[in-house]
Amino acid sequence: MKKSASCQDPLEVIGRAKGYSRDELIMNLPRHVKFTPNLIQQIKKLPEVYLRNSGSPMAKKLIRMMREVSLETYRAIQFTRTEINNRGILFGVVLLKHRVLDLVLKYFHKRWPQCVICLYNEHTRRTGIINEKGTIREVNFTLKEVVEKIGKTRPIVPYFEDIQFSGEEIFETLYNSQNIIERENPRYFKKMIPDYCYELPGMRNGVEKRFSSRNKKLNEFLK
Amino acid sequence: MPSTLEKIRILGANSKYDICASTASSRTDKYPKLFGDTNKWVGAAASAGICHSYTPDGRCMSLFKTLYTNKCIYSCKYCFTQNCKQRLSFTPEEYARTFMKLYSMNVVEGVFISSGVCGSADDTTEDMLETIRLLRFKYHFQGYIHFKCLPGVSQYLLKEAICLSDRISVNTEASTKEHLAEIAEQKDFMNDIITRQRWLKQIRIRHNEETLKVMKDWKQDNHLEFQEKMIKDRREDGYKKFRWDGAPILNGGQTTQFVVGAAEHETDWDLLKRIDWQYRQIDLRRAYFSSFIPIEGTPLANKVAAPLAREHRLYQSDWLLRIYHYKLKDLQEVLTEEGNLPRGDPKIHFARHYFKEHGLVDPNQTSYQELLRVPGIGPISAKRIINLRAQKFKFKRREDLKSIGVVLKRADPYLIINGRNQTTLQNFFDPDKSKISQEGI
Repeated sequence: MKKSASCQDPLEVIGRAKGYSRDELIMNLPRHVKFTPNLIQQIKKLPEVYLRNSGSPMAKKLIRMMREVSLETYRAIQFTRTEINNRGILFGVVLLKHRVLDLVLKYFHKRWPQCVICLYNEHTRRTGIINEKGTIREVNFTLKEVVEKIGKTRPIVPYFEDIQFSGEEIFETLYNSQNIIERENPRYFKKMIPDYCYELPGMRNGVEKRFSSRNKKLNEFLK
Repeated sequence: MPSTLEKIRILGANSKYDICASTASSRTDKYPKLFGDTNKWVGAAASAGICHSYTPDGRCMSLFKTLYTNKCIYSCKYCFTQNCKQRLSFTPEEYARTFMKLYSMNVVEGVFISSGVCGSADDTTEDMLETIRLLRFKYHFQGYIHFKCLPGVSQYLLKEAICLSDRISVNTEASTKEHLAEIAEQKDFMNDIITRQRWLKQIRIRHNEETLKVMKDWKQDNHLEFQEKMIKDRREDGYKKFRWDGAPILNGGQTTQFVVGAAEHETDWDLLKRIDWQYRQIDLRRAYFSSFIPIEGTPLANKVAAPLAREHRLYQSDWLLRIYHYKLKDLQEVLTEEGNLPRGDPKIHFARHYFKEHGLVDPNQTSYQELLRVPGIGPISAKRIINLRAQKFKFKRREDLKSIGVVLKRADPYLIINGRNQTTLQNFFDPDKSKISQEGI
């Protein structure tokens, strides 16, 4: 049987070129806020080579959607600032449009496996909770209510009691101390922390914003 | 009594010229866990670290990087200790607690602990070790720790440091004995630095062999065999074959740092020779370069700062050696008469020189090593080309290469596809410049 032209495409032959496989797309695209079940049907019909070829309009759309999902997860992991109380509850605020709260919760769970982690999503106005066993649930309460309720059921732990002091000033001092004026590179800095990151809850009043004047709007200068 | 904040302000500023990766450990889930698998352990070490913040120069700031103390018996000419008015030290408990607080805020990913030499190297190292002991066994922190080995430290202390850290670095500072004597006369190049680096290599190999043996006795696993092979295997040129070898002990390996431009006649060639030797002989994981910046009050205050571009060229050459498998003599060909790297990307300089002699590259026939010499083709796209050829695929169009990640605007002048070579109008009409192009047509 004569091979079709698409079979000779390098992207199909190699199997792991650019783009995402069908399985990856089916697994991760439902996290996107604009996902529709129809999209999965379309993906299932298309040959993988077409999905992987970044030149096709459909693949472009899928790759963009996948990137949006993974980037939002990564930014949340990077720039969410958390607090820990003396009962081992780690809590913070996130702004997640896509359905990736579980991934962010798992990241914190891996780092603090003996803590209950509560993250309030400003977008959905719900709080995600992951317990010590890794069970995730979402509730319609505010962060304060959730932390109070869970706190009542947990004893004070000396380990966490030991690190109950304000750390913001410490971080600000550390951040300021690391700057080398001779090497200042505003363009690179902007690339590393793009403007939209300053809208994330952890960065709104972050040291990075206070330290740099580039993101100040006219109103902020006048204050 | 200075507050913790004051200590961070001063000791943090004193350590800002120390360079390190965000985190550089591959202690991920597929490798055996160093400290066991129970819930009490806090933190994680991943190969690609997460950067929680960036300083205005764009550098990632993901480690708690301060000196343990700025008291120092050495008087290196480039160093801040020469003009430091306030001498401070952390206490181990204070350091560990402060770090854990920052870690709980999700603003740092690990620790970078360095220090001046207060009293003797052993005394200071003992204090630094006490700090990481607290982190590991009181605060149960199993994340990333980068430990700085002080010049002249004893072997027994290094043995413990290796077991508790993810990465250890010994600052070489200069490429040769003579250059080091020029900027830090009290340091003994061979004894204080090179011997320590050799010890680190030996202890790391021995510890890992013993650990893997114990693990094998405990659990038969094919992955452990493979891991042993990864730790031992070497390339033809003597470099380690696997940069990330998954070793359970000192997973991030050892690194070093050079102050570029502080010694008067130190050339890029001197530095490249030294790092090449270190990659082959002491299993250096990677080298860092820090452009010399004059600090007021030091003997070198009036010396001109080294250009940042020089540092950048050295990093590019370092990548060519480590990742692109270039030989040292390949880089020698692009050096200027003074022994420094020329302006511009060393890979492009080398390619111009090399492909003039050897002719253009046909991606359908060329070896992997040869492909890596083409600007715009990196290890990943070179591997893809080789894989495709193994599947009997023929490259007939430039777009075939573009679709697998080759940067055509760089690669075009050196490639010949279907007997054709892309060139610019200027090169086409200029007989001198078009030598390469005409050979391809």
